[in-house]
Amino acid sequence: MKLARALTLAAAASAVLFAQQFKFNLDHLAAKASDTVDVSLSGPLLQLGARFLDSHDPDEAKVKKMIAGIEGIYVRHFEFKQEGAWTAGDLEGVRSQLKAPDWQRIVGWKSAEDGETAEVYLRLEGSKMTGVAILAAQPKAFTVVNIAGPVDLDALSQLGGHFGVPKVKPDTPKQKK
Amino acid sequence: MDWLEQELKSALARKEPPPEFAEGVAKALDGVLPDAASGPRRNLVAWPSRTARRWLAAAAAILLMVGGGAGYRWHQGVEAKRQVMLAFHIAGGRLNHLRTHLKEVSQ
Repeated sequence: MKLARALTLAAAASAVLFAQQFKFNLDHLAAKASDTVDVSLSGPLLQLGARFLDSHDPDEAKVKKMIAGIEGIYVRHFEFKQEGAWTAGDLEGVRSQLKAPDWQRIVGWKSAEDGETAEVYLRLEGSKMTGVAILAAQPKAFTVVNIAGPVDLDALSQLGGHFGVPKVKPDTPKQKK
Repeated sequence: MDWLEQELKSALARKEPPPEFAEGVAKALDGVLPDAASGPRRNLVAWPSRTARRWLAAAAAILLMVGGGAGYRWHQGVEAKRQVMLAFHIAGGRLNHLRTHLKEVSQ
């Protein structure tokens, strides 16, 4: 009985780890962050969430369509009151897992002036996309996203300006406080 | 003993009722007083039997469990939807931010 229970727990844990395609290892940032978002949705819970999305709402309909093919979505987003909360090591800790042949970086952007870094990686099996990783760091924010499964990046990008908030624009010197 | 005392004694003395008195009273009350089976204090709906009460309690418990389960499932679904929307909002936002930077650079 105990063995069966242990096996069930192990299977459940491995299913979660299997769906998430790389480790985040960012728990230490949570203590420094003023705001933290931690989303780990996969399997039945993800599909349950999808069932509650309203097909008549344009944004929710788009998300519902994107969810249909994915196995899981994992997000860690930290916002800090002060700069310097995250280090290059935190970035490298994630980046080091996103290596060829599994992962390919399709775009990267770095601004030494603004202290911003953003990278997008695709996980490919042959010609089939099986995952997306987004790594974005700003002086007061750190974000890692893993979407397990194929996703339309154009459609995903369009969602960035929806949900009742304006599209994110890069900070200009005037906007900085 | 004067005449007044004697009058009182005779007026208050116990007297047996005439033999037809009880029958007359019973006849007068007949139809006015309900019988024991349909007394006014009896409930309009019969109280269920002990077995029926057990079944009713079991049904109520099942209904409560099913209702509670459905409620919890609904709450889970709403929470999952909120998290899905939040996750896509953040992912889309970062991607959109990057694209805007890249457009600026290319221009």
